[in-house]
Amino acid sequence: MTKNEIEEKLTEGISAIMSIDRASMATDIPFKELGLDSLGFVEVLVFIEKTFKLNLVELDLTKKDFETINSLATFISKKL
Amino acid sequence: MGFVIPSSKNRMYLTGQDWVINTIDHMMKASTSAGNMSQIVLVLDSLLDEKLLRKRLGDFVKAFPALYGSISRDFSLAPYWRIPEETTDVLDLTVYTLEEDASDNDVLSLLGKAANRPFKNEDEHLAFHLIQKGKKESFFSITFDHPLFDARGAEAFLELFLEYSSGKEIAVILKGVSLTAPADLSDWMRKFYAGRNVNRKMLSLSRPLFKTLPLPAGNERGFNFHLVSFGIDETEKIYEKAYKEAGYLMEMPYLLSVVMQAVHELFKKRGIDADNYMAPVTIDMRTGDDIKEELLLNHVSYLFFKVTAEDAGDLKNVIRSVKLQMFEQVKAKLPKDLADASSLLRIASLSFLGKVLYLHFKGKAATFLFSYLGNRPGRLIKFMGLKIKNLIHTPRVPAPPGLGFFFNNYNGRLNFVISYLDGLLSDEEILMLTTTVKEKLEAPV
Repeated sequence: MTKNEIEEKLTEGISAIMSIDRASMATDIPFKELGLDSLGFVEVLVFIEKTFKLNLVELDLTKKDFETINSLATFISKKL
Repeated sequence: MGFVIPSSKNRMYLTGQDWVINTIDHMMKASTSAGNMSQIVLVLDSLLDEKLLRKRLGDFVKAFPALYGSISRDFSLAPYWRIPEETTDVLDLTVYTLEEDASDNDVLSLLGKAANRPFKNEDEHLAFHLIQKGKKESFFSITFDHPLFDARGAEAFLELFLEYSSGKEIAVILKGVSLTAPADLSDWMRKFYAGRNVNRKMLSLSRPLFKTLPLPAGNERGFNFHLVSFGIDETEKIYEKAYKEAGYLMEMPYLLSVVMQAVHELFKKRGIDADNYMAPVTIDMRTGDDIKEELLLNHVSYLFFKVTAEDAGDLKNVIRSVKLQMFEQVKAKLPKDLADASSLLRIASLSFLGKVLYLHFKGKAATFLFSYLGNRPGRLIKFMGLKIKNLIHTPRVPAPPGLGFFFNNYNGRLNFVISYLDGLLSDEEILMLTTTVKEKLEAPV
Protein backbone atom coordinates (compact mmCIF):
# COMPACT_ATOMS: atom_id res chain seq x y z
CA MET A 1 0.00 0.00 0.00
CA THR A 2 1.44 3.41 -0.96
CA LYS A 3 1.66 6.31 1.44
CA ASN A 4 -1.00 8.15 -0.58
CA GLU A 5 -3.39 5.24 -0.23
CA ILE A 6 -2.75 5.13 3.53
CA GLU A 7 -3.44 8.87 3.72
CA GLU A 8 -6.68 8.36 1.81
CA LYS A 9 -7.86 5.65 4.18
CA LEU A 10 -6.83 7.66 7.25
CA THR A 11 -8.63 10.76 5.97
CA GLU A 12 -11.78 8.74 5.40
CA GLY A 13 -11.63 7.05 8.82
CA ILE A 14 -10.69 10.10 10.87
CA SER A 15 -13.24 12.39 9.20
CA ALA A 16 -15.92 9.81 10.09
CA ILE A 17 -14.70 9.53 13.70
CA MET A 18 -14.66 13.31 14.11
CA SER A 19 -17.77 14.03 12.03
CA ILE A 20 -15.79 16.44 9.88
CA ASP A 21 -16.39 16.93 6.17
CA ARG A 22 -13.75 14.86 4.39
CA ALA A 23 -13.08 17.59 1.86
CA SER A 24 -12.11 20.03 4.58
CA MET A 25 -9.53 17.72 6.15
CA ALA A 26 -6.01 18.61 5.05
CA THR A 27 -3.34 16.00 5.75
CA ASP A 28 -0.99 18.48 7.41
CA ILE A 29 -3.35 19.92 10.05
CA PRO A 30 -2.32 18.79 13.56
CA PHE A 31 -4.90 16.46 15.14
CA LYS A 32 -4.97 18.71 18.17
CA GLU A 33 -6.15 21.64 16.05
CA LEU A 34 -8.90 19.43 14.68
CA GLY A 35 -10.07 18.94 18.27
CA LEU A 36 -8.99 15.32 18.61
CA ASP A 37 -8.82 14.25 22.26
CA SER A 38 -7.66 11.08 24.04
CA LEU A 39 -10.91 9.26 23.30
CA GLY A 40 -10.93 10.29 19.64
CA PHE A 41 -7.31 9.31 19.32
CA VAL A 42 -8.00 5.85 20.75
CA GLU A 43 -10.85 5.53 18.22
CA VAL A 44 -8.26 6.31 15.53
CA LEU A 45 -6.00 3.58 16.94
CA VAL A 46 -8.89 1.10 16.80
CA PHE A 47 -9.52 2.16 13.18
CA ILE A 48 -5.82 1.63 12.36
CA GLU A 49 -5.88 -1.84 13.89
CA LYS A 50 -8.98 -2.83 11.92
CA THR A 51 -7.80 -1.27 8.64
CA PHE A 52 -4.05 -1.92 8.64
CA LYS A 53 -3.86 -4.80 11.17
CA LEU A 54 -1.43 -2.79 13.29
CA ASN A 55 -1.73 -2.55 17.07
CA LEU A 56 -0.15 0.77 18.01
CA VAL A 57 -1.61 1.35 21.47
CA GLU A 58 1.29 -0.27 23.28
CA LEU A 59 3.91 1.66 21.31
CA ASP A 60 5.19 5.06 22.36
CA LEU A 61 2.85 7.34 20.47
CA THR A 62 5.17 10.27 19.92
CA LYS A 63 3.98 13.66 18.74
CA LYS A 64 6.41 13.46 15.81
CA ASP A 65 4.82 10.32 14.38
CA PHE A 66 1.21 11.02 15.29
CA GLU A 67 0.76 14.76 14.88
CA THR A 68 -0.94 14.82 11.47
CA ILE A 69 -2.45 12.44 8.94
CA ASN A 70 0.69 12.92 6.88
CA SER A 71 3.11 11.92 9.67
CA LEU A 72 0.84 9.06 10.76
CA ALA A 73 0.74 7.73 7.17
CA THR A 74 4.55 7.84 7.03
CA PHE A 75 4.74 5.95 10.33
CA ILE A 76 2.24 3.30 9.19
CA SER A 77 3.92 2.83 5.81
CA LYS A 78 7.17 2.02 7.64
CA LYS A 79 5.39 -0.55 9.82
CA LEU A 80 3.52 -2.33 7.00
CA MET B 1 -44.08 12.13 38.27
CA GLY B 2 -47.42 12.29 36.45
CA PHE B 3 -49.06 10.65 33.45
CA VAL B 4 -50.28 12.87 30.61
CA ILE B 5 -51.91 12.37 27.22
CA PRO B 6 -49.17 12.11 24.59
CA SER B 7 -48.42 15.11 22.46
CA SER B 8 -45.36 15.42 20.30
CA LYS B 9 -44.97 19.13 20.88
CA ASN B 10 -43.91 19.52 24.47
CA ARG B 11 -41.78 16.51 25.17
CA MET B 12 -38.26 15.23 24.82
CA TYR B 13 -38.07 11.49 25.40
CA LEU B 14 -35.29 10.49 27.73
CA THR B 15 -32.55 8.13 26.69
CA GLY B 16 -31.47 5.29 28.94
CA GLN B 17 -28.48 7.38 29.97
CA ASP B 18 -30.85 10.20 30.99
CA TRP B 19 -32.83 7.73 33.07
CA VAL B 20 -29.65 6.58 34.82
CA ILE B 21 -28.78 10.24 35.53
CA ASN B 22 -32.27 10.72 37.00
CA THR B 23 -31.83 7.56 39.06
CA ILE B 24 -28.57 8.90 40.48
CA ASP B 25 -30.38 12.17 41.21
CA HIS B 26 -33.06 10.25 43.10
CA MET B 27 -30.44 8.32 45.09
CA MET B 28 -28.36 11.39 45.89
CA LYS B 29 -31.42 13.20 47.24
CA ALA B 30 -31.89 10.26 49.63
CA SER B 31 -28.24 9.86 50.64
CA THR B 32 -26.89 13.45 50.63
CA SER B 33 -28.07 17.04 51.09
CA ALA B 34 -29.21 17.48 47.47
CA GLY B 35 -29.46 15.81 44.08
CA ASN B 36 -27.26 15.10 41.08
CA MET B 37 -26.12 18.65 40.47
CA SER B 38 -23.02 20.40 39.27
CA GLN B 39 -21.70 23.92 39.06
CA ILE B 40 -19.67 25.96 36.59
CA VAL B 41 -17.82 28.95 37.99
CA LEU B 42 -16.55 31.81 35.86
CA VAL B 43 -13.76 33.84 37.45
CA LEU B 44 -14.07 37.39 36.08
CA ASP B 45 -11.50 40.18 36.05
CA SER B 46 -13.81 42.89 37.41
CA LEU B 47 -17.16 43.42 39.11
CA LEU B 48 -20.20 42.26 37.15
CA ASP B 49 -23.10 44.68 36.76
CA GLU B 50 -25.67 42.92 38.95
CA LYS B 51 -28.67 44.88 37.69
CA LEU B 52 -27.83 44.22 34.07
CA LEU B 53 -27.11 40.55 34.76
CA ARG B 54 -30.43 40.12 36.54
CA LYS B 55 -32.34 41.74 33.68
CA ARG B 56 -30.64 39.89 30.83
CA LEU B 57 -30.46 36.51 32.53
CA GLY B 58 -34.09 36.84 33.66
CA ASP B 59 -35.25 37.62 30.12
CA PHE B 60 -33.19 34.80 28.67
CA VAL B 61 -34.39 32.00 30.95
CA LYS B 62 -37.96 33.26 30.69
CA ALA B 63 -37.84 32.72 26.94
CA PHE B 64 -36.58 29.15 27.39
CA PRO B 65 -39.38 27.08 29.03
CA ALA B 66 -37.50 23.80 28.45
CA LEU B 67 -35.28 24.84 31.38
CA TYR B 68 -38.28 24.38 33.66
CA GLY B 69 -39.28 20.92 32.47
CA SER B 70 -40.07 17.89 34.60
CA ILE B 71 -40.18 14.13 34.21
CA SER B 72 -43.33 12.34 33.04
CA ARG B 73 -44.23 9.02 31.44
CA ASP B 74 -46.54 8.51 28.49
CA PHE B 75 -48.85 5.55 27.64
CA SER B 76 -45.93 3.53 26.28
CA LEU B 77 -44.30 4.11 29.69
CA ALA B 78 -41.38 5.87 28.01
CA PRO B 79 -40.18 8.67 30.31
CA TYR B 80 -39.84 12.14 28.86
CA TRP B 81 -38.93 15.72 29.70
CA ARG B 82 -42.21 17.59 29.82
CA ILE B 83 -41.72 21.14 28.60
CA PRO B 84 -44.16 23.70 29.99
CA GLU B 85 -45.90 26.09 27.59
CA GLU B 86 -44.44 29.06 29.38
CA THR B 87 -42.09 29.92 32.21
CA THR B 88 -43.76 30.82 35.46
CA ASP B 89 -40.76 30.62 37.77
CA VAL B 90 -38.61 33.63 38.55
CA LEU B 91 -34.86 33.86 38.12
CA ASP B 92 -32.97 32.37 41.05
CA LEU B 93 -29.95 34.68 41.40
CA THR B 94 -28.23 35.17 44.75
CA VAL B 95 -25.58 37.86 45.23
CA TYR B 96 -22.82 37.87 47.85
CA THR B 97 -20.28 40.56 48.64
CA LEU B 98 -16.81 39.80 49.95
CA GLU B 99 -14.05 42.14 51.07
CA GLU B 100 -11.06 42.72 48.79
CA ASP B 101 -8.81 40.67 51.07
CA ALA B 102 -11.14 37.63 51.25
CA SER B 103 -9.22 34.42 50.68
CA ASP B 104 -9.74 31.81 47.96
CA ASN B 105 -11.11 29.56 50.69
CA ASP B 106 -13.77 32.16 51.54
CA VAL B 107 -14.85 32.18 47.89
CA LEU B 108 -14.77 28.38 47.63
CA SER B 109 -16.79 28.09 50.81
CA LEU B 110 -19.56 30.28 49.34
CA LEU B 111 -19.44 28.40 46.06
CA GLY B 112 -19.63 25.14 47.99
CA LYS B 113 -22.77 26.31 49.75
CA ALA B 114 -24.26 27.27 46.38
CA ALA B 115 -23.41 23.87 44.86
CA ASN B 116 -25.02 22.03 47.79
CA ARG B 117 -28.28 23.93 48.01
CA PRO B 118 -31.16 21.75 46.83
CA PHE B 119 -33.49 23.11 44.19
CA LYS B 120 -36.82 24.46 45.45
CA ASN B 121 -39.05 22.06 43.51
CA GLU B 122 -39.12 19.52 40.68
CA ASP B 123 -39.44 22.24 38.04
CA GLU B 124 -36.35 24.19 39.11
CA HIS B 125 -33.07 23.05 37.62
CA LEU B 126 -30.91 26.17 37.58
CA ALA B 127 -29.63 28.56 40.21
CA PHE B 128 -27.20 31.41 39.70
CA HIS B 129 -24.79 32.98 42.16
CA LEU B 130 -22.71 36.11 41.90
CA ILE B 131 -19.87 36.83 44.32
CA GLN B 132 -18.53 40.37 44.14
CA LYS B 133 -15.08 40.43 45.71
CA GLY B 134 -13.73 43.86 46.53
CA LYS B 135 -13.67 46.04 43.42
CA LYS B 136 -11.54 44.01 41.08
CA GLU B 137 -12.89 40.49 40.86
CA SER B 138 -16.18 38.63 40.68
CA PHE B 139 -17.32 35.03 40.41
CA PHE B 140 -20.41 34.05 38.49
CA SER B 141 -21.66 30.51 38.97
CA ILE B 142 -24.42 28.44 37.44
CA THR B 143 -25.61 25.50 39.52
CA PHE B 144 -27.39 23.08 37.25
CA ASP B 145 -29.34 19.89 37.61
CA HIS B 146 -27.79 17.01 35.68
CA PRO B 147 -31.21 15.78 34.52
CA LEU B 148 -31.32 19.07 32.54
CA PHE B 149 -27.73 19.40 31.27
CA ASP B 150 -24.47 17.53 31.20
CA ALA B 151 -21.27 19.54 31.75
CA ARG B 152 -20.76 20.41 28.07
CA GLY B 153 -24.44 21.28 27.72
CA ALA B 154 -24.20 23.73 30.62
CA GLU B 155 -21.13 25.37 29.06
CA ALA B 156 -23.03 25.65 25.77
CA PHE B 157 -26.00 27.20 27.61
CA LEU B 158 -23.69 29.91 28.95
CA GLU B 159 -22.37 30.49 25.43
CA LEU B 160 -25.94 31.00 24.19
CA PHE B 161 -26.64 33.44 27.00
CA LEU B 162 -23.54 35.40 26.01
CA GLU B 163 -24.85 35.62 22.44
CA TYR B 164 -28.10 36.99 23.85
CA SER B 165 -26.39 39.47 26.15
CA SER B 166 -24.33 40.76 23.23
CA GLY B 167 -27.55 41.76 21.46
CA LYS B 168 -28.53 38.81 19.30
CA GLU B 169 -32.25 38.01 18.97
CA ILE B 170 -33.35 35.23 21.30
CA ALA B 171 -35.33 33.45 18.57
CA VAL B 172 -32.22 33.33 16.39
CA ILE B 173 -30.11 32.01 19.27
CA LEU B 174 -32.51 29.24 20.22
CA LYS B 175 -33.05 28.20 16.59
CA GLY B 176 -31.31 24.88 16.20
CA VAL B 177 -31.64 23.84 19.84
CA SER B 178 -33.44 20.53 19.65
CA LEU B 179 -36.62 20.46 21.75
CA THR B 180 -37.78 17.01 20.71
CA ALA B 181 -36.22 13.56 21.06
CA PRO B 182 -37.61 10.22 19.85
CA ALA B 183 -38.86 7.55 22.25
CA ASP B 184 -36.45 5.01 20.70
CA LEU B 185 -38.80 2.05 21.10
CA SER B 186 -37.30 -0.20 18.42
CA ASP B 187 -34.23 -2.39 17.77
CA TRP B 188 -34.93 -4.43 20.88
CA MET B 189 -32.66 -7.33 19.90
CA ARG B 190 -29.70 -4.98 19.46
CA LYS B 191 -30.42 -3.53 22.90
CA PHE B 192 -30.66 -6.99 24.48
CA TYR B 193 -27.31 -7.98 22.95
CA ALA B 194 -25.83 -4.71 24.20
CA GLY B 195 -27.27 -5.51 27.64
CA ARG B 196 -25.60 -8.91 27.58
CA ASN B 197 -22.23 -7.32 26.72
CA VAL B 198 -22.59 -4.71 29.47
CA ASN B 199 -23.59 -7.37 31.98
CA ARG B 200 -20.46 -9.37 31.19
CA LYS B 201 -18.30 -6.27 31.56
CA MET B 202 -19.84 -5.39 34.93
CA LEU B 203 -19.30 -8.95 36.16
CA SER B 204 -15.63 -8.81 35.17
CA LEU B 205 -15.25 -5.46 36.95
CA SER B 206 -16.81 -6.91 40.09
CA ARG B 207 -14.37 -9.83 40.44
CA PRO B 208 -12.50 -9.28 42.62
CA LEU B 209 -14.45 -6.39 44.09
CA PHE B 210 -12.71 -3.01 44.29
CA LYS B 211 -12.27 -1.07 47.51
CA THR B 212 -14.07 2.10 48.56
CA LEU B 213 -13.67 4.53 51.44
CA PRO B 214 -16.18 4.06 54.28
CA LEU B 215 -18.88 6.74 54.09
CA PRO B 216 -19.47 8.97 57.10
CA ALA B 217 -22.82 8.48 58.84
CA GLY B 218 -25.82 10.65 57.98
CA ASN B 219 -27.76 11.31 54.80
CA GLU B 220 -27.85 15.11 54.82
CA ARG B 221 -24.20 15.75 54.11
CA GLY B 222 -23.01 18.21 51.47
CA PHE B 223 -19.89 18.12 49.34
CA ASN B 224 -16.62 19.96 49.77
CA PHE B 225 -14.47 21.06 46.87
CA HIS B 226 -10.73 21.45 46.79
CA LEU B 227 -9.33 23.34 43.81
CA VAL B 228 -5.83 23.37 42.34
CA SER B 229 -5.38 25.72 39.38
CA PHE B 230 -2.24 25.36 37.31
CA GLY B 231 -0.75 28.28 35.37
CA ILE B 232 -0.36 28.24 31.58
CA ASP B 233 3.37 27.37 31.74
CA GLU B 234 2.76 24.66 34.33
CA THR B 235 -0.04 23.23 32.21
CA GLU B 236 2.20 23.12 29.13
CA LYS B 237 4.82 21.20 31.12
CA ILE B 238 2.19 18.79 32.45
CA TYR B 239 0.97 18.08 28.90
CA GLU B 240 4.53 17.61 27.63
CA LYS B 241 5.09 15.11 30.42
CA ALA B 242 1.77 13.40 29.63
CA TYR B 243 2.79 13.00 25.96
CA LYS B 244 6.19 11.70 27.00
CA GLU B 245 4.91 9.23 29.59
CA ALA B 246 1.63 8.11 28.00
CA GLY B 247 1.88 9.11 24.34
CA TYR B 248 0.60 11.91 22.12
CA LEU B 249 -2.89 13.21 23.05
CA MET B 250 -3.06 10.81 25.99
CA GLU B 251 -3.77 13.46 28.63
CA MET B 252 -6.82 11.70 30.00
CA PRO B 253 -5.18 8.29 30.61
CA TYR B 254 -2.17 10.05 32.08
CA LEU B 255 -4.12 12.24 34.52
CA LEU B 256 -6.29 9.29 35.55
CA SER B 257 -3.16 7.19 36.17
CA VAL B 258 -1.69 9.89 38.39
CA VAL B 259 -4.92 10.10 40.39
CA MET B 260 -5.02 6.28 40.70
CA GLN B 261 -1.57 6.44 42.28
CA ALA B 262 -2.61 9.19 44.69
CA VAL B 263 -5.69 7.19 45.72
CA HIS B 264 -3.51 4.12 46.23
CA GLU B 265 -1.34 6.20 48.61
CA LEU B 266 -4.46 7.33 50.46
CA PHE B 267 -5.69 3.76 50.95
CA LYS B 268 -2.24 2.66 52.14
CA LYS B 269 -2.14 5.51 54.67
CA ARG B 270 -5.61 4.56 55.90
CA GLY B 271 -4.42 0.98 56.31
CA ILE B 272 -7.05 -0.31 53.87
CA ASP B 273 -5.76 -3.47 52.23
CA ALA B 274 -7.05 -3.02 48.69
CA ASP B 275 -6.82 -5.57 45.89
CA ASN B 276 -7.79 -3.06 43.24
CA TYR B 277 -9.42 0.30 42.53
CA MET B 278 -12.16 1.09 40.00
CA ALA B 279 -13.17 4.38 38.42
CA PRO B 280 -15.79 5.17 35.78
CA VAL B 281 -14.84 8.01 33.46
CA THR B 282 -17.51 10.17 31.85
CA ILE B 283 -17.15 10.65 28.11
CA ASP B 284 -19.04 12.93 25.73
CA MET B 285 -21.04 10.97 23.13
CA ARG B 286 -21.84 13.96 20.91
CA THR B 287 -20.64 13.45 17.39
CA GLY B 288 -20.26 17.04 16.23
CA ASP B 289 -18.36 20.00 17.59
CA ASP B 290 -21.46 22.18 17.50
CA ILE B 291 -23.34 20.99 20.55
CA LYS B 292 -26.23 23.47 20.22
CA GLU B 293 -28.52 20.81 18.76
CA GLU B 294 -27.75 18.46 21.67
CA LEU B 295 -27.77 21.16 24.34
CA LEU B 296 -30.45 19.76 26.64
CA LEU B 297 -30.44 16.50 28.64
CA ASN B 298 -27.46 14.16 28.74
CA HIS B 299 -25.21 12.93 25.98
CA VAL B 300 -22.64 11.03 27.99
CA SER B 301 -21.48 7.49 28.47
CA TYR B 302 -18.70 5.85 30.45
CA LEU B 303 -15.49 3.92 30.30
CA PHE B 304 -14.45 1.85 33.32
CA PHE B 305 -10.91 1.50 34.59
CA LYS B 306 -9.73 -1.03 37.11
CA VAL B 307 -6.17 -0.96 38.39
CA THR B 308 -4.67 -3.52 40.75
CA ALA B 309 -2.95 -2.36 43.92
CA GLU B 310 0.09 -4.25 42.68
CA ASP B 311 0.26 -2.13 39.51
CA ALA B 312 -0.71 1.10 41.29
CA GLY B 313 2.75 1.56 42.78
CA ASP B 314 4.36 2.07 39.37
CA LEU B 315 3.15 4.88 37.10
CA LYS B 316 4.27 3.14 33.91
CA ASN B 317 2.25 0.04 34.83
CA VAL B 318 -0.83 2.11 35.61
CA ILE B 319 -0.59 4.05 32.34
CA ARG B 320 -0.13 0.86 30.35
CA SER B 321 -3.10 -0.77 32.05
CA VAL B 322 -5.34 2.30 31.60
CA LYS B 323 -4.44 2.70 27.91
CA LEU B 324 -5.07 -0.98 27.16
CA GLN B 325 -8.43 -0.94 28.96
CA MET B 326 -9.42 2.20 27.05
CA PHE B 327 -8.43 0.63 23.74
CA GLU B 328 -10.29 -2.62 24.46
CA GLN B 329 -13.46 -0.85 25.62
CA VAL B 330 -13.53 1.54 22.65
CA LYS B 331 -12.87 -1.39 20.30
CA ALA B 332 -15.70 -3.37 21.92
CA LYS B 333 -17.96 -0.28 21.62
CA LEU B 334 -18.74 -0.39 25.34
CA PRO B 335 -19.91 3.25 25.58
CA LYS B 336 -22.45 2.64 22.77
CA ASP B 337 -23.54 -0.67 24.34
CA LEU B 338 -24.08 1.11 27.65
CA ALA B 339 -26.26 3.70 25.95
CA ASP B 340 -28.27 1.03 24.10
CA ALA B 341 -28.57 -1.30 27.08
CA SER B 342 -29.64 1.44 29.48
CA SER B 343 -32.64 2.26 27.29
CA LEU B 344 -34.08 -1.09 28.39
CA LEU B 345 -33.99 0.14 31.98
CA ARG B 346 -36.33 3.06 31.41
CA ILE B 347 -39.29 0.88 32.31
CA ALA B 348 -37.97 0.61 35.88
CA SER B 349 -38.89 3.09 38.57
CA LEU B 350 -36.09 5.33 39.83
CA SER B 351 -35.98 3.66 43.25
CA PHE B 352 -35.90 0.15 41.77
CA LEU B 353 -33.26 1.05 39.21
CA GLY B 354 -31.18 2.58 41.99
CA LYS B 355 -30.97 -0.85 43.61
CA VAL B 356 -30.24 -2.57 40.27
CA LEU B 357 -27.35 -0.22 39.45
CA TYR B 358 -25.53 -1.17 42.63
CA LEU B 359 -26.32 -4.89 42.40
CA HIS B 360 -23.22 -5.98 40.51
CA PHE B 361 -20.91 -4.22 42.93
CA LYS B 362 -22.58 -5.33 46.16
CA GLY B 363 -23.81 -1.86 47.03
CA LYS B 364 -20.65 -0.08 45.89
CA ALA B 365 -20.47 2.12 42.82
CA ALA B 366 -16.77 2.72 42.27
CA THR B 367 -13.67 3.73 44.21
CA PHE B 368 -14.00 7.23 42.79
CA LEU B 369 -15.35 9.13 39.77
CA PHE B 370 -13.14 10.86 37.24
CA SER B 371 -13.51 13.15 34.26
CA TYR B 372 -11.32 15.30 32.06
CA LEU B 373 -12.76 18.09 29.92
CA GLY B 374 -10.33 19.28 27.27
CA ASN B 375 -9.92 22.81 26.02
CA ARG B 376 -12.48 24.31 23.65
CA PRO B 377 -10.52 27.25 22.24
CA GLY B 378 -12.23 30.49 21.35
CA ARG B 379 -15.34 29.95 23.44
CA LEU B 380 -16.42 31.75 26.62
CA ILE B 381 -13.61 34.29 26.48
CA LYS B 382 -15.61 37.27 27.75
CA PHE B 383 -18.71 37.43 29.90
CA MET B 384 -20.86 40.55 29.57
CA GLY B 385 -17.80 42.59 28.68
CA LEU B 386 -15.54 41.18 31.39
CA LYS B 387 -12.59 38.93 30.74
CA ILE B 388 -13.02 35.37 31.97
CA LYS B 389 -9.85 34.51 33.86
CA ASN B 390 -10.80 30.91 34.54
CA LEU B 391 -13.66 28.42 34.26
CA ILE B 392 -14.05 25.71 36.88
CA HIS B 393 -16.40 22.75 37.25
CA THR B 394 -17.42 21.63 40.77
CA PRO B 395 -19.68 18.58 40.49
CA ARG B 396 -21.37 16.72 43.33
CA VAL B 397 -20.88 12.97 43.02
CA PRO B 398 -22.99 9.95 44.02
CA ALA B 399 -22.39 8.58 47.52
CA PRO B 400 -21.13 5.88 47.46
CA PRO B 401 -18.39 6.51 46.55
CA GLY B 402 -18.69 10.20 47.57
CA LEU B 403 -15.36 10.99 45.93
CA GLY B 404 -14.54 12.45 42.52
CA PHE B 405 -11.52 13.90 40.72
CA PHE B 406 -12.19 16.32 37.90
CA PHE B 407 -9.80 18.01 35.50
CA ASN B 408 -10.71 20.66 32.97
CA ASN B 409 -8.60 22.78 30.67
CA TYR B 410 -9.73 26.35 30.25
CA ASN B 411 -7.77 28.34 27.68
CA GLY B 412 -4.52 26.53 28.39
CA ARG B 413 -4.95 26.37 32.18
CA LEU B 414 -5.48 23.02 33.81
CA ASN B 415 -7.82 22.92 36.82
CA PHE B 416 -8.00 20.02 39.23
CA VAL B 417 -10.97 19.67 41.59
CA ILE B 418 -11.44 17.08 44.32
CA SER B 419 -15.10 16.74 45.19
CA TYR B 420 -15.79 14.78 48.38
CA LEU B 421 -18.62 14.12 50.77
CA ASP B 422 -18.27 16.17 53.92
CA GLY B 423 -16.45 14.02 56.49
CA LEU B 424 -15.10 11.48 53.98
CA LEU B 425 -11.57 12.93 53.97
CA SER B 426 -9.57 14.86 56.56
CA ASP B 427 -7.72 18.08 55.73
CA GLU B 428 -4.43 16.15 55.99
CA GLU B 429 -5.68 13.60 53.47
CA ILE B 430 -6.74 16.32 51.05
CA LEU B 431 -3.29 17.85 51.40
CA MET B 432 -1.69 14.44 50.83
CA LEU B 433 -3.80 13.81 47.70
CA THR B 434 -3.05 17.20 46.15
CA THR B 435 0.63 17.00 47.05
CA THR B 436 0.93 13.51 45.55
CA VAL B 437 -0.85 14.56 42.34
CA LYS B 438 1.32 17.67 42.01
CA GLU B 439 4.49 15.69 42.63
CA LYS B 440 3.55 13.11 40.02
CA LEU B 441 2.73 15.87 37.55
CA GLU B 442 6.02 17.53 38.50
CA ALA B 443 4.25 20.78 39.28
CA PRO B 444 5.41 23.00 42.18
CA VAL B 445 4.07 21.62 45.46
